[in-house]
Amino acid sequence: MADPTPDYAENAPRRRFEREDQSIDWIAAERSPEFRELIARKRRFVVPATIFFLGWYLGFIALAGYAPDFMGESIYQGFTVGYALALSQFVMTWVLGWMYVRRADDEFDSLAERAAARAIEVGRSGDGQPTAGGTTGPAGTTTTEHEGVTRR
Amino acid sequence: MSVFAEINTTALPIFGVILAVTLGVTYWASKRTTGTTSFWAANRGITGAQNGFAIAGDYMSAASFLGIAGLIFLFGFDGFLYSVGFLVAFLTVLFLLAERMRNAGKFTIADVLSFRLKERPARVAAALGTLAVVGFYLIAQMVGAGVIIQALVGIDFSLAVILTGACMLMYVVFGGMLATTWVQIIKAALLMTGALVMTLFVLERVGWNPVSLFNDAAANHPEKDAYLSPGLNFTNPIDTISLGLALVLGTAGLPHILMRFFTVPDAKAARTSVLWAMGLIGAFYLMTTALGFGARAILGQGGVEAAGKGGNLAAPNLAQELGGGAGTAGGDIFLAFIAAVAFATILAVVAGLVISASGAVAHDVWSNVIRKGRSTDREEVWVGRLAALAIGAVAIAIALIGGAGLNVAFMVGLAFAVAASATFPALLLALTWRRFNTTGAVTGVLFGVVSAIGLIILSPTVWPGPDSEGSPFGLTNPGIISIPLGFIGCWLGTMLSREEVAERTFDELYVRSETGLGAERALPERVRRPVRGAAATAVLPK
Repeated sequence: MADPTPDYAENAPRRRFEREDQSIDWIAAERSPEFRELIARKRRFVVPATIFFLGWYLGFIALAGYAPDFMGESIYQGFTVGYALALSQFVMTWVLGWMYVRRADDEFDSLAERAAARAIEVGRSGDGQPTAGGTTGPAGTTTTEHEGVTRR
Repeated sequence: MSVFAEINTTALPIFGVILAVTLGVTYWASKRTTGTTSFWAANRGITGAQNGFAIAGDYMSAASFLGIAGLIFLFGFDGFLYSVGFLVAFLTVLFLLAERMRNAGKFTIADVLSFRLKERPARVAAALGTLAVVGFYLIAQMVGAGVIIQALVGIDFSLAVILTGACMLMYVVFGGMLATTWVQIIKAALLMTGALVMTLFVLERVGWNPVSLFNDAAANHPEKDAYLSPGLNFTNPIDTISLGLALVLGTAGLPHILMRFFTVPDAKAARTSVLWAMGLIGAFYLMTTALGFGARAILGQGGVEAAGKGGNLAAPNLAQELGGGAGTAGGDIFLAFIAAVAFATILAVVAGLVISASGAVAHDVWSNVIRKGRSTDREEVWVGRLAALAIGAVAIAIALIGGAGLNVAFMVGLAFAVAASATFPALLLALTWRRFNTTGAVTGVLFGVVSAIGLIILSPTVWPGPDSEGSPFGLTNPGIISIPLGFIGCWLGTMLSREEVAERTFDELYVRSETGLGAERALPERVRRPVRGAAATAVLPK
């Protein structure tokens, strides 16, 4: 069994999957509380943000299609509702993009690092034994199966 | 020679400078292009900010610069709808794909699919999607290049296409992704500068008051105030929504854009690069409004005929007018500068397209499907170079045969529709849906490609003749039908088969794509020299 050192990916192997497949129990890693927390926190931002931006954008397009008169109403000296809404799309894109990147820098990255550290930890301590609650099959079985699907 | 009869002599030195600089960059890059990681991914050493510029340079085609300014000039608000969709699309890229692609992929979108799916069918499906998208996009750009350069510089259409194709192939074949990246960065800087200078000139004309620009523009349009509201170009609401969907989801399926995320060191740089790209692209599209409205306010209805089909020449004509008008030195220089910017714009986009297509052919089809992973690093790069030459030659040939009459806007629309319907659903589902499998990916890509292309053929744009009545499918934009069909294809294929390996390897792909565990690293400077594939693997400590 490989001894995974923290810089295991340093060598950037062409066939990169082989070594890690043997050392990391991916099913246990996916179920680790650290990984679940990363996913939950990310979803809490990305899902509402995606629904919001798709809704705001498609709503704008639908208004352009179905309510041209409303979009053509002047707000200020000929500057129309349609243009105000179009500009709001630009502001929305920049603000949501900036919010996401800030959240990812402050929050998601450290959670991802913890989840990754946990996955390596599980692989090392487990060494073929089931670890981190609730794995369906023994990790050893998983390792063999992964070897069976080693890819290029 | 008659071909050179009306050549714009002011433009030639500026073109020459652009060619000299980009070919110099290519020479520099060729010294640093050794193995596959440098050829396809620029050693993964591009910074977030640099990649943001490169994405902007890869994305904003001549269709954006001249086409959208022209559409705004002709139709006002409806032209601006494109700008909005092209920008908002980057939220889809940022939230759903950018970091995951960087973490899980290597050189092509097929790497991500084949991670958990059966290697050969998954790669063939992904390569099919890539080539379909890139093919339409590339031919559209080549034809656009020929038309625009012919109009602006006075070089014959065929010669312009061949010149563009030759430059594109030199960047890609000799300089790989590194040269492509820097050509895109230079182009983005030029394009932003050109748009900014023109915008400032336009604003100066209206006393620095944007609102009076709106009013002057509307006053100069026969429809008056309707110019500032929707409906001059799009009359069918369903068609408008269909176009909007294809724009906002299609960008996240464009192989040449997604490929850019493999050139940065890590996921953090990938997302930073999207933010930079959003800033640049957003600012640019705001400026296209100033250009389109400026052209309307300054050139007026009289400028419509000179702007040509689709209004493509509205921006260059505006530049000439802002510089002092036709025949003046200022007008000539400004026109020549904008022509050069358009030329650089086209070069950067086509280079990005060709390198992503050559990745699909060499890395996916040749190395992993035909040679089943037994090819060496060096072999893959050489096949990549040959593939680029072949793809470039085919694109040049089709552009020459199809000629200036090919409808450019329709082919770009088709590229976005295929991307949104075929590559985007398969990628998204491979990364997020545990049950997804190989059959689903293959049927999804097939459904997406066939329905998008099929519906376009049956649409009023093509059937029974160009822009004619009586077509079987009433919409110009197929997205609203073909995107759901792409997802349904993925779902249907998945449900009709069971693939345990795909479900089990989902955990691995999921953890890798979200955490960056085991992601491909940037090559340190000392390693950036040729590596013989097999030997490199053999020396790894086991």
